[in-house]
Amino acid sequence: MWTVFKKELKSYFLSPIGYVVIGILMLVFTIFFYLTTVAYGSVDLGSLYSYGVLYGLIITVPILTMRMFAEERKNGTEQLILTSPVSITGVVLGKFLAAVGVIVIALLASFMYFGIMCYFGTPSLTLVLVYMLGFVLVSGAGIAVGMFASSITENQVIAGIITISFMLMSIFLPNLGDEFPDISIMNFYQKFPYGLVSLAEVVGAVAFAAMFIAFTIIVMQRRKLVK
Amino acid sequence: MIQVEDITKRYGTFTAVDKINFEIEEGEVVGFLGPNGAGKSTTMNMITGFIESTSGRILVDGYDISKKPKKAKRQIGYMPEGVPLYADLTAKEFVTYMAELKGVKRKERKAMVQKALEDTGLVEVQNQLTRNLSRGYKQRVSLAGALVSNPKVIILDEPTVGLDPKQVTEIRALIKELEKDHTVILSSHILSEVSQICNRVIIINKGKIVAVDTPENLEKKVVKDNSVYVTVEDLENKMNSIKDKLENVQEIRLVKENDDNTKKYIITAEEDVDLRKHIFETFAKEGITIFEMKKIDATLEDAFMQLIGSEAEIEQEEVENEEVLDKKQLKEKKKQEKMEKKAEKQRLKEEKKKEKELKKAEKKQKGGQE
Repeated sequence: MWTVFKKELKSYFLSPIGYVVIGILMLVFTIFFYLTTVAYGSVDLGSLYSYGVLYGLIITVPILTMRMFAEERKNGTEQLILTSPVSITGVVLGKFLAAVGVIVIALLASFMYFGIMCYFGTPSLTLVLVYMLGFVLVSGAGIAVGMFASSITENQVIAGIITISFMLMSIFLPNLGDEFPDISIMNFYQKFPYGLVSLAEVVGAVAFAAMFIAFTIIVMQRRKLVK
Repeated sequence: MIQVEDITKRYGTFTAVDKINFEIEEGEVVGFLGPNGAGKSTTMNMITGFIESTSGRILVDGYDISKKPKKAKRQIGYMPEGVPLYADLTAKEFVTYMAELKGVKRKERKAMVQKALEDTGLVEVQNQLTRNLSRGYKQRVSLAGALVSNPKVIILDEPTVGLDPKQVTEIRALIKELEKDHTVILSSHILSEVSQICNRVIIINKGKIVAVDTPENLEKKVVKDNSVYVTVEDLENKMNSIKDKLENVQEIRLVKENDDNTKKYIITAEEDVDLRKHIFETFAKEGITIFEMKKIDATLEDAFMQLIGSEAEIEQEEVENEEVLDKKQLKEKKKQEKMEKKAEKQRLKEEKKKEKELKKAEKKQKGGQE
């Protein structure tokens, strides 16, 4: 698993993808750092991360996940992985964690806002860590969906479109009314912006991610029979 | 080393591989031979555990590939068809990644990667991205990836496809080297390759094993009778009656009539005798000029063709050629028809014009009368 993780994380930064994702997230963070924290003269970074979740993940999650399995399938490199003595679970988890790793790196970079705030006041480190925990959990849920989308097609564009529609749905469905099913991953980031770690949200996000990781593993295991 | 027992792979109603059985001993170099779509790659993919067989059992070094995949896969180095590589890694990074995936221990990794790079002649290009390498080098990187963990079994799917002749010889030499301490399975549709490298050939056609034998034995199987090709100029049409004058001849068959008025025949002897001298003398007496004469030697190619029943294919080709001719003729016909139609149209137009002129003239006349 760690072999795949290492290689995938490295691949993200050998191609522009890793930098693009971090760049977009930093752009979103900076915009909302100015619009929320600076404009209101507040020391709290809660809204910065909650807008980051809302707007930053729409594009970055599909960019991170669209090539995961689709590219390997198209180039035939999946033959190399699937004929190696590594378990499919290990491969899927390795890839998943690598994508989450890119998000974590972006979050580490976002510590600079905390640093800037330290100059003007005394923001709470614990709170920032809670925001970040939520951020990682929600992006993990999104990445799991994107990874699943990537595993069912060999066309990266299709995988990307499925993921981006899911992310958009996550944002707009809750606002449309009660008739629509509530399958938004934004539900897992309702209490985090207030500095609260809710068990329901943590378990929800983890279970959601686990479900789609399991789906991906099943799809990859079935490929052996179908191909 | 490898036991394949009653392996079948079905896709819906289509059977790609049909109850194949064979066994490969340690240290053998075995070639899979067959036309495209015969099931070579499918069989290899099943041995490597990339796809699961519909029924049957495959044992690699005693481990069942579907029940103990990790242990079985550890014994195998696989170079897939089409040479898939990670384009954003360098040759060395790729080989290292393959070593890690194969579970080579950290301590030995560096040395083994270096050895694989050296064995495949990649040392000068080891720091280049695989996407920038030429086809030949890509093939070698893929091969290095298969070798790096020093597996007992090495499986190569069409290792020399798309290479220039020099690279082909190099890769073949490399495979010969591997033979010393590995079991090698390779697939190919190039016969000379298989007969050079392998000590056993498995011929597959339409998902079934047609023959398993050494290249030499397969060649021997085909050499049954003694035949000679002759191309002659036969101005006095004596070939029809020549059979009576030749001894030991079983059959004279016209194969082809060339444009330069020569004809090609196959002459088959009754027994295992060399007819050439006899033919030469007799034909000279009869005034038939021999342009070319050649004894037919059976090669592995002939064996292959005979075994997979490719006569049908040759016939098909001929039919296709005829079709092409037909198409040409059709085109010409169409052209002619078009021309004819044009001519007719013009004629009609001219006729109409004349009619009009006539009418005008009549009107004028009428007007004049009034």
